Amino acid sequence: MPRSVDAEVVVIGGGPAGMAAALSAWEWGARRVFLLERNPHLGGILNQCIHPGFGLRLFGEELTGPEYAERYIEALEKTRVEVLTDTTVLEVGGDRHVVAVNREGVWIFRARTVVFAVGCRERTRGMIRLPGTRPAGIFTAGCAQYLVNIEGYLPGKRAVILGSGDIGLIMARRLTLEGVRVEAVVEILPTLSGLLRNYVQCLLDFRIPLLLSHTVLEVLGKERVEGVVVGRVDEKGNPVGEKRLLPCDTLLLSVGLVPESELLKKSQIPLCPSSGGPFVDEDFACDVPGFFACGNVVGVFDLVDYVTESALRIGRRIGENEGHTPPRFILSPREGVATLFPQRIRRGKDGFLYVRPKEGLRKARLSLIHNGKEFHSLTFPLCRPGEMVRLDLAQVSWPEEEGEVQVVLRGEKHVDLL
Amino acid sequence: MKVYDVAIVGGGVVGCAIAWYLAHCSLDILLLEKREDVCCGVSKANTGILHSRSYWTPGTLKGEMHLRSLSWFERAFRELGLSPLRCGALTLAFSREEARYLEVSTKSEETSAEAAILSPKEVLAIEPRVNPEIYAGYFDPETMVVSPFALTIALAEGAALNGVEIHCGKEVIALESSGRFLRICCSDGTAYHARFLVNCAGASAVRLAQNLGDSLPSLSFFRGQYFVLDRECQGFVRCVLYPVPTEKSKGILVAPTPEGNLLLGPNFEPTQGEDTATTREGLLEVERGVQRLVPDVPLDRVITTFSGVRPALPERDFLIAFSPSLPCVLHLAGIESPGLTACFGIAEYVGELLARRGLPLRERNDFRFRVPSRAFRECSLEERERLIREDPDWGKIVCRCEEVTLAEVKRALRANPPARTLDGLKRRIRVFAGRCQGSFCGMHLPRILESEGGIPVHGLQKSGPGSFYVLRRDEVATYAEVR
Ligand SMILES: Cc1cc2nc3c(=O)[nH]c(=O)nc-3n(C[C@H](O)[C@H](O)[C@H](O)COP(=O)(O)OP(=O)(O)OC[C@H]3O[C@@H](n4cnc5c(N)ncnc54)[C@H](O)[C@@H]3O)c2cc1C
Ligand SMILES: Cc1cc2nc3c(=O)[nH]c(=O)nc-3n(C[C@H](O)[C@H](O)[C@H](O)COP(=O)(O)OP(=O)(O)OC[C@H]3O[C@@H](n4cnc5c(N)ncnc54)[C@H](O)[C@@H]3O)c2cc1C
Repeated sequence: MPRSVDAEVVVIGGGPAGMAAALSAWEWGARRVFLLERNPHLGGILNQCIHPGFGLRLFGEELTGPEYAERYIEALEKTRVEVLTDTTVLEVGGDRHVVAVNREGVWIFRARTVVFAVGCRERTRGMIRLPGTRPAGIFTAGCAQYLVNIEGYLPGKRAVILGSGDIGLIMARRLTLEGVRVEAVVEILPTLSGLLRNYVQCLLDFRIPLLLSHTVLEVLGKERVEGVVVGRVDEKGNPVGEKRLLPCDTLLLSVGLVPESELLKKSQIPLCPSSGGPFVDEDFACDVPGFFACGNVVGVFDLVDYVTESALRIGRRIGENEGHTPPRFILSPREGVATLFPQRIRRGKDGFLYVRPKEGLRKARLSLIHNGKEFHSLTFPLCRPGEMVRLDLAQVSWPEEEGEVQVVLRGEKHVDLL
Repeated sequence: MKVYDVAIVGGGVVGCAIAWYLAHCSLDILLLEKREDVCCGVSKANTGILHSRSYWTPGTLKGEMHLRSLSWFERAFRELGLSPLRCGALTLAFSREEARYLEVSTKSEETSAEAAILSPKEVLAIEPRVNPEIYAGYFDPETMVVSPFALTIALAEGAALNGVEIHCGKEVIALESSGRFLRICCSDGTAYHARFLVNCAGASAVRLAQNLGDSLPSLSFFRGQYFVLDRECQGFVRCVLYPVPTEKSKGILVAPTPEGNLLLGPNFEPTQGEDTATTREGLLEVERGVQRLVPDVPLDRVITTFSGVRPALPERDFLIAFSPSLPCVLHLAGIESPGLTACFGIAEYVGELLARRGLPLRERNDFRFRVPSRAFRECSLEERERLIREDPDWGKIVCRCEEVTLAEVKRALRANPPARTLDGLKRRIRVFAGRCQGSFCGMHLPRILESEGGIPVHGLQKSGPGSFYVLRRDEVATYAEVR
C-alpha cells in the first residue's frame, strides 16, 4: 500500500520559490514541513544558470545561479524541513492530498497547507506553429542551456535563436563563448523581450545581430536542421517582403515561458487567463483555502530576487493562521498591462504588485483605478515588456469601498529604443 | 547459408502485418527495413482511424482488403495486446446535397446495423460542440482509432516474438535469382537469401520494383497536414468527426486518440516525393476545415504539427500483384488510405497469393500472444506501488508530461525490435510526445540512454544517420579559433 504521511505544509518544487516558502514556513513555526523536488538536487532552474546576475537586489552582490541557490540550501540544512529529492508529485487533490512517487514507492501526503512552487515551462515549436520539416537540432533555449552547462555537450555548430527572451540572449553569448557561430537572434516583435542588460552583455558585446520584426518562417533539413527561412513581419506578425535563408544546424527557441499549471488544474484551483497561473493574493494564497503558489508558477518573474521575496511571504500567513477571508480588492489588467500579480488584495498593507507592460512606453504612469477614479499612481521614465514594474503595496492608501481595481499603464509609445 | 521462406521488404504497418500473419505458420521469415526502426514511413504519420464497414469503397481492391480486415480486428487486438479507442464516428452534412451522400451510404448493405441518419438535434446531443448549422449527421458506432505506432510496433513485436527476424538499417537495392531462391542485396553490402520476396516499401515500392527489374505505374504523392492538441483537450469531442468525403479524400476531420490527444487534419495537396514538411498555408487550410465542423476547437492548445504523405497510383487503388519477371516476387504499391485499416486483410490476402505459388502455410500450435508492457501513466496507485517495489526504476519519472518512468525507457531499449533513436523511444513510450515536446526529457534522457542503452550521448540520433542530437565539445571549434 502507498505510504500515508500527515504534514502541516507540503511544498511542491525545490527551486528558489519552493526553498523560500519552506524556509519561511519553518521560521514562522510550522513543523512537519516537506519539500518535494523531482530532480536529484534542490535549486530548480538556478542550477543551469551559471552566469552571474542573481541576487543584486536581495544581497547587493552578483551571484551565479548555483551560488544563489546554495545560500538557501544551506539555510534549509539548519532546519528540520524534510527534503525529498528525486520525488515527483503526480497529483494534488482538492482535499489537499498530495500524491508523489520516488524510488521508495508511492507517497500520499495529507497536508494542512499545500504550496505550489513548480516553476514554468518553455513554449515550444508546436505552440508557435512554426512550419517546415521536423529534423534534429531544434531545442528550447533552456533545454540547450542544460545540455551545455550541466551535461557538457553542444547543440551544434551554427545556430539561429528565435525569440529575444532572456534565456535566448544568455544562450547566444554562452554558445558564442563555446565556439558555436550564432548567426542571429530573430524577434517577431518590434521590441526586445528580455532585459536590456542582457541585450548589451550578450548580443552587443559579441556583435550578434538582433533582427527585430522578423521571424523564422520555415525550418529546412531532413535529418538535421540545414537552415531556416527568415523574413520580416508586420505588426500582426504576418510575413511581408523579402525572405532569406540563414544556413544553420541548430535552432534555439526562446519564445516565452508559461506557468506549469497542470497540477493546479487537476486540483481545480482557479487560474488567471492573462498570467496562466493561479489567482493569488498579496501573500500568494490561492482562491481555495489551504493552497498557496509562488515563483514562476504564478506568473513569469524576470528576477529571481522577486521570486524569493514573494515566496518568503507565505510563512507568515501560514503562521498567523487567520483563516481565509474574502479579498477586498480584485485587480484586473487593463490598457497597457499584459499581466499582473497578485490579482487579489486582502489587507493591502505590505507586499508588492508586479505588472508586466504590454508595450514599450516613455514617461509611463501606472494607475490604480477604482470606480473610475485613480487612487494611486507611480511614474517612471521608461517601461518595456521585458521588465516588470514593481509597486510597493505599503505605499498605497486603498479606497474605503471594496471592489474591482483596474490597473492601467499609459505613456508615450516608443519602439525605437528596443 | 540460411534461406528464408519469405523476405518482407519494408517495416511499415503492411510489412509488419504480413510478418505477424505469416508467423502464425511454421516458416522462416525475414523483415528488412532501411531505416533504423520499424514504423518510420507512411505508417508513422496518419490519422490512425480503423474505418468501419460504412466507409468502404465498393468495386476496388482497397475496399475488398478493407472488408477482409474487419473480421480480423478482435482476434488481432487480443493476440497483440492492443486496445483501440472504440469511439464511433459522426459524418456531418452541411447541406441537402451533402445529406444525400449520407442517405446513399447508409443504404449500402455493408453498413453497421446500428448506424443511423440523425437530425441536427440528435447530432448535437451526441457531440454538443459540433457546428449548430449542421443539416444532418450519420452516426456509426463501429469506427475505432488506434495509435498507428502502437499498432505497427505491436505487429513487429508480435512477429519477432514468434521468430520473425527483423533487420533494420537494411535498404534492399537489388535482387538476383538463382532459380531456386533469391539473393537479396542491401546497400550496405550485405545479402540475404529467400524463396519469396514481398515488396511493401510504401512510398518507395515502385522505385524498388524498378530496381528489381519491374515497371509499375508511377506513384503520385499527396500530403496531409495535422495539428496535435494537448491531452487536456480530452473529451472536447468523443467520436471521430468526418465531413462528407470528396472524390480525393475523406476530408479534414477531428479524431480523438487513445492517448487522449485530438488530431486535426489532414488536408490533401500534391507534393514532390516524400516531402513531409508542414506549411503555413496547409495548416491554415486544416484550421478552416476543422472550424467548419467544430467552431470552438481549442487551437491554442496545439502541441505539435506534422504531415504524412499518401503514395497513390493513378487509379487511386491498391496494387497487389506478382512480378511479371520473377514469379516469387510480390509487389504491393499504392497502399494509401485505408492501408492501416486494411493491413490484416492485406496480410491474409498476401498469404493466400503466396500459398498459391507454393508457400506451405501450416499453422503452428505454439504461436505466442504479445503481452504489452505497462504504461505507468495508466496504473492505479496500488499497481504503481507494487511495480516500484519490484523495480525502483518505476519510481523515477523521466518524462513529466506523459509520466514515463526509467523502467519503461529501459524496457523499450531492450524490446525486440529495440528502440535505438529518440523517435523510436517516442513511438514506443511517448517520451518527447507530450506538451513540452522533449524540453524536459530531452535534458535527462541522453545520459540515461548512454548508461542504460549503451548509446553514447554524442552518437545519439533523433531518427537515423545524420540526425545527431548533440556534439561533443571537441567537435566544435573553440571561441579563440572562431574569432
Ligand atoms: C535561463 C534562465 C536564465 C535566468 N537568468 C536570470 C538572471 O540572470 N537573474 C535573475 O535574477 N533571474 C534569472 N532567471 C529567473 C530565475 O531563475 C527564475 O525566476 C527562478 O528560478 C524561478 O524560480 P521557481 O522556484 O519559481 O522555479 P524553478 O527554478 O523552475 O523551480 C521549480 C522546481 O520545481 C520542481 N518541480 C516541478 N514540478 C514538480 C513536480 N511535479 N514534483 C516535484 N518537483 C517539481 C522543478 O524540478 C524545479 O526544481 C533566469 C531563468 C532562466 C530560466
Ligand atoms: C495523411 C494520411 C492519413 C491516413 N489516414 C489513415 C487512416 O486514418 N486510416 C487508415 O486505415 N489509413 C490511413 N492512411 C493510410 C496508411 O497510413 C497507409 O496506407 C499505411 O501506413 C501504409 O503502410 P505501408 O507499410 O505500406 O507503408 P510505410 O509505412 O511507408 O512502410 C514502408 C517501409 O518500407 C521501407 N522501405 C522503403 N524502401 C525500402 C527498401 N528499399 N529496403 C528496405 N526498406 C524499405 C520504408 O522505410 C518504410 O518503413 C493515411 C495515410 C496518410 C498519408
